[in-house]
Amino acid sequence: MIKDIFVMGLEAMKSYKIRTFLTLIGVIIGVASVIMVTTAGGSVSSFIADQWNVFNPTGMVIGTGTGGATPQLSIRSVVFTTNDVEKIQNLPSVKTVAPLGVVPLNKILKRDGFLKWESRPGEIMYASTPALLEILNLNLEEGTMFEEGKNEVVISKNVAEVFGKDKPLHVGDTIYLRRVDSKTLEAKVVGILKESSTANMFNALSTPGIICPTKPYYSSYFGSNVGTILKRVVGYTVLLAEATDTKHVQDAQDQILKYLDSGGSDANQYKDQNSDFVVITQQYILVRIEQVLSVIRTYITAIALISLLIGAIGIANIMFATVTERTREIGTMMAIGAKRRDILQLFLYQSTIIGLLGGLFGCMIGASGSWFVVDLLNKNIQNLGGALSTGTIQLTYAPEWFLIASVVGILIGVAAGVLPARKAAKMDPVVALRYE
Amino acid sequence: MSEYVIDIDSLTKIYQTGKTDFKALNTVTLKIRKGDFVAIMGPSGSGKSTLMNIIGCLDRPTSGTVIIDGENISIVSDNELAEIRGRKIGFIFQKFNLIPTMTALKNIALPMVFLGGTTADRDRRAAELLGKVGLTNWATHRPSELSGGQQQRIAIARALSNNPSIILADEPTGNLDTKTGEQIMGLLVALNKEGKTILLVTHAIALKRFANRVINMLDGEVSEKS
Ligand SMILES: Nc1ncnc2c1ncn2[C@@H]1O[C@H](COP(=O)(O)OP(=O)(O)OP(=O)(O)O)[C@@H](O)[C@H]1O
Ligand SMILES: [Mg+2]
Repeated sequence: MIKDIFVMGLEAMKSYKIRTFLTLIGVIIGVASVIMVTTAGGSVSSFIADQWNVFNPTGMVIGTGTGGATPQLSIRSVVFTTNDVEKIQNLPSVKTVAPLGVVPLNKILKRDGFLKWESRPGEIMYASTPALLEILNLNLEEGTMFEEGKNEVVISKNVAEVFGKDKPLHVGDTIYLRRVDSKTLEAKVVGILKESSTANMFNALSTPGIICPTKPYYSSYFGSNVGTILKRVVGYTVLLAEATDTKHVQDAQDQILKYLDSGGSDANQYKDQNSDFVVITQQYILVRIEQVLSVIRTYITAIALISLLIGAIGIANIMFATVTERTREIGTMMAIGAKRRDILQLFLYQSTIIGLLGGLFGCMIGASGSWFVVDLLNKNIQNLGGALSTGTIQLTYAPEWFLIASVVGILIGVAAGVLPARKAAKMDPVVALRYE
Repeated sequence: MSEYVIDIDSLTKIYQTGKTDFKALNTVTLKIRKGDFVAIMGPSGSGKSTLMNIIGCLDRPTSGTVIIDGENISIVSDNELAEIRGRKIGFIFQKFNLIPTMTALKNIALPMVFLGGTTADRDRRAAELLGKVGLTNWATHRPSELSGGQQQRIAIARALSNNPSIILADEPTGNLDTKTGEQIMGLLVALNKEGKTILLVTHAIALKRFANRVINMLDGEVSEKS
C-alpha cells in the first residue's frame, strides 16, 4: 500500500509538471552549490596546502619583528652573526641552520671572446651555505653545490636564461656579478636548480635566482656589517633552520628563542630594543593558511546552506499551496477510506521525492559545476600570482558530501513537507469536502 | 446484530459556530433495513447532508447512538472510522469528486488502495466495475475528458469498489440534466436490486418514485409518512 501511495504521489507530481520542476530547481541549486563549494573549495585549499606541504615540514625562519601569539617577521635589520649561526647549529633539536644574506645586484655580465652580454638590473642574489638546499628542499638539476669561500654560484633556470633562451648559461660558465655598490665579482656557475613548483618560506621572501656562498660575495658587502665602527662583523637579517624531525619543531623553536633572548647571543646585542626575535615555522604557516582557508570555506558553505534553506522553503511553500488547492480531493480520499496516515504519507512522499531528486540532480550538477570552476581556475592560475603561480588544482571530490547532499535533500524534503502534510492529514473530512 | 443496517437513536449534532451553538440534527431516531432505498428530502439547511455525513462515518454524533452495520461509530478511533468508511460505505457526491490527476480506472481502484491488496487485483476489479457502468473504453481517460454523466458513473463504480453494503448519494443528479440523471438513477436502482442499501438525498420530487421509503427533514428533525 505504501508503494501505491508513493506512486500516487509521483502521478500527482507528474500532473503538476511545471510546479514540480520549479520547486526542484530550488533544491537543485541549493544542493549543487553545496557540492560546488565543498568540492571546488576543498580542491583549492588542498592545492594550496599541498603547495606548502612539499616544502620541508621541519623548516623555520628566524628573524626579528613582533612576537606573541601571531608572530610577524618585519625583517631587514642585520642582527645575526656567524657566531649565532654556530651556536644555533649546536642546539639539540636543530638539525641544520643556514644564514641568509641579501646581495642586491646591478647586473649580470658574460664575456665570450669579444662578445659581451649584460642582464637588466634587479636580480637579487642570496648568500648562504650549502645547507640551504636541504632546508628549502631544493634540488640541483645539474652540477654541484658551491663550496664556501670559492667564487662559485648556483643559479635558477630563469637566471640561466637571463641573456635569452637561445643563449642559456651552462654549468662551468663564468659570469660577472656587479653588486649595487658597483663592485664586480667573478663567479663560476657550478649548479643549476631544478624548477620547484612549490611555495615555501623562501618563495614567500622572493624567488631564489642566484645562490652564492657568503664568502666572498656577502662578507665584503658593506650592507652586511653590524656592530660599532671599532668592531664591525658580518651579520644577517634572517636565518633558516630545520628541526631534527617533525616532532621536535616546537622544541627547536623554543631552544632557538631561548638562546637568542639570552645575553649570550650576539643578535640580542645588535637587535633594536623595540623588536622581538621571531621564529616562524612551516607548521605555523600551514596552520595559519588552514585557518584562513577554513574561514573562507565556512563563509561560502554558509551561503550554500542558505540557498539550501531557500530550496526547503520553496518546497514547503509549494506543498502548502498544493494541500490547500487539493483540499476537496483530500476530503474525498478520506470519504472513500483514506486514513490520516495515508494522507500524511501522500504529501510527505511528494516533498521527499522532490528533495531526493533535487539532491541527486544537485549532486550531478554540482559535480560538473565544480569541474568547470576548477578548470577555470586552472586556466587562470597564472594570473593568481605569488605562491600560486605554478602547478594545477587537482579536482578532488569529497564523497561524503555527495552522501550528505542526498541525505540533506531527502531530509529537507521531509522537513519541508511535514507541516503541509500534517495540515492535510488533520483536515476534517466534512469541512474538506465542502471546500470550493 | 440488529435487523437494521443503520440504527440511529436520539442522534443530536450540534455545530459550534463561534459562541453560538447550532443544532443541525435534533434527537433523530431512524432505522433502516438492509436493502432499503431511502429518499431523504427537505429544504436547504434542514440537515440532510449532516445526517449523511454521520451515517457515512465522516462525522461523529454530539450525542445519541449511531450503529452502522453493527459498528457503534461513537466509540471507535479515527482510524477505525476510516476503515469502516472504506469497507461499508460507498459515497456518491453531487460534484462527482473524482481525483483529477488519476485515470478513470485508477479513480475506481482508489478505495481499494487504502485497504491493501495487489495492484493487479485492484485493476482487474476496477475494470470489471468500469464495464458495469458501461465505460470500458474510458479506462485511461482523466475526469476532465469525461462528461458529467460519465464522471458520475465512474464515481458510482468507485463507490462500489470495496463492495460496501451502504451507498450514500447526496444529490447525485444535482449537477446533471434530467435525462442523464435518470440514467444515474437507473444504475442506483439496479444496485438496490442487487441488495445494496441506498440513501439518496434529493430535491427532485420526481426521484421519489425510485425509493421505497421517503424521509422528510425539517430543521434537523425527521418525519416519515408511510
Ligand atoms: N461544519 C459546520 N459548521 C457549522 N455549521 C454547519 C456545518 N455543517 C453544516 N452546518 C449547518 O448545519 C445546517 C445543516 O446543514 P446541511 O449541510 O446538513 O444542510 P442540507 O440539508 O444538506 O442543505 P442543502 O440542501 O443545502 O445541502 C446548515 O444550517 C449548516 O449551515
Ligand atoms: Mg446538503
